[in-house]
Amino acid sequence: MKTACPRLFEVEALRDGRLAGAELGRFQSHLGVCPVCAAEARALDALARHLQAPSDFGEADELHVRRQRTRLLAAFDAGLMPEGRPRAAKSWLVPAFALGLLSLLGALTFALVFRPAHPVPAAHAPDRPPEAVMVRADSSAQWSRRGDAQVETVVLVNGALSIHVDHAVSHRRLLVILPDGEIEDIGTTFSVSADAGQTTHVTVQEGSVVLRLRGKPPLSLGAGEAWKPAEAVAPAAPSATQARTPRAKTMPLGVPTASSDASAKSDAHGADPSADFRAAMAVFNGGDNARAAADFAAFVRQHPRDSHAEDAAYLRILALQRAGDSAATKQAAQDYLSRYSHGFRHAEVEAIWHD
Amino acid sequence: MSSRSLRQAAGTPPASDPELMSELGSGQLGALGELYDRHQAPLRRFLARATRDAHDVDDLVHATFLSAAQCAQRYDGRASCRPWLIGIAAQLLRRRRRASSRLLEILTSLKSSLQPARDPQPAYQARSDVERALGSLSEAKRVTLLMAEVEGLSCEEIAQALEVPIGTVWTRLHAARRELRKAIGGDGEGASQP
Repeated sequence: MKTACPRLFEVEALRDGRLAGAELGRFQSHLGVCPVCAAEARALDALARHLQAPSDFGEADELHVRRQRTRLLAAFDAGLMPEGRPRAAKSWLVPAFALGLLSLLGALTFALVFRPAHPVPAAHAPDRPPEAVMVRADSSAQWSRRGDAQVETVVLVNGALSIHVDHAVSHRRLLVILPDGEIEDIGTTFSVSADAGQTTHVTVQEGSVVLRLRGKPPLSLGAGEAWKPAEAVAPAAPSATQARTPRAKTMPLGVPTASSDASAKSDAHGADPSADFRAAMAVFNGGDNARAAADFAAFVRQHPRDSHAEDAAYLRILALQRAGDSAATKQAAQDYLSRYSHGFRHAEVEAIWHD
Repeated sequence: MSSRSLRQAAGTPPASDPELMSELGSGQLGALGELYDRHQAPLRRFLARATRDAHDVDDLVHATFLSAAQCAQRYDGRASCRPWLIGIAAQLLRRRRRASSRLLEILTSLKSSLQPARDPQPAYQARSDVERALGSLSEAKRVTLLMAEVEGLSCEEIAQALEVPIGTVWTRLHAARRELRKAIGGDGEGASQP
């Protein structure tokens, strides 16, 4: 039978951070010599270990977690960010309403006096500003859209969207948030679909996009290229012709291998910018930064008007930075800034240049 | 391309929690997704053990991340935001408990023939002695104990999160340990592992 120690209560006090200073020191010394308090401390440690033991309690399957994730992002996108807007709009409500009423009366008078024989469809109104991002959704698509000064964000929960981006109208970036990743647009027309928490299809008609799926390396898709989940692709090995075709209709997810891209490059040297870009990306992802920087520089020289040129110029900076060549990094950053004064990565490159 | 995306493309190490919180504070959706991927599992486990209710867990995880997004700009900058998220989750639990208590009071005051309904929602099944014993504690004691012993929050942090005096936290911890040890057999060393 254990003999009670009058200081036993201090074991818990020590654990909960209630002892300090000299009191703490004295009790720690006591703990070293009192078997009762030492046993109590061990018992509390054991209890904590039991509570901390790995357990599957409350664990959810991956699909459920993905659905919940999509639900969270959609809720955040729909409700949280524009919270300040209605309040801001409120103070303008009265004058805006009065102005609207006056305009309406004026327009009504004008319409009655100068009524045309055939009404002009609203879509053809000459003063309507062109939209930078046009989204067409299928009837069952669940999606939302928001934007700020820098980024236009489209969140796709389920269904299919067809998106056209005109960067001549706006320099804002477009980000499409998918249930399991995101697509960054680089000035293009593309379509994307998702189902049951997964991206099921991406097809690029013009320009290019970067597809980033969770746990997978980023994938650049150019005009005429499409992506489907790897398991959906036919299991048969691609023929030699298919492997060399620079614009395969369906690509498995992942960074193209250096060999396939090298062959693509040799077959279509100078003729296919997408293949050149993918080859440079493969070198970059392979970790050969010096060579990647040279490849990206060559790409910019050979294809200055290609939609990947700006990406290549930027990735060249990153490659040089990773290679540890700070002088060349600065020079490359300066090249980028002078060439793309309104570039997508202007802010990041400026920060690198100032470093 | 966001700075987060650029880091991924460049193969550099993933963003830290403070960096992601800062991005979230400026409204970047991707940062919320990444924080969710990083912390949803421990948060879900904490809430599941605290509430024992499968349906509540999804809603509470959801509400915790949305609340975190709302006050991301006030994040204190600690290396991991897990304790901070746990604190938010505990606050939400407390509010939910208060709301339920009020509802129960109203129902009781009606003195109708209706008995307080049994919880129709699915409950998690405890698979170990410790989980069963934990389930027998009151929610307040359970939450306090989990925050202290599993999540490693200090008593001050717990008091702040639960909006109770620190003395209440000490009392709850003491009572929770005593009841738990009694339930699993004396010194707590004989409990079965999950």
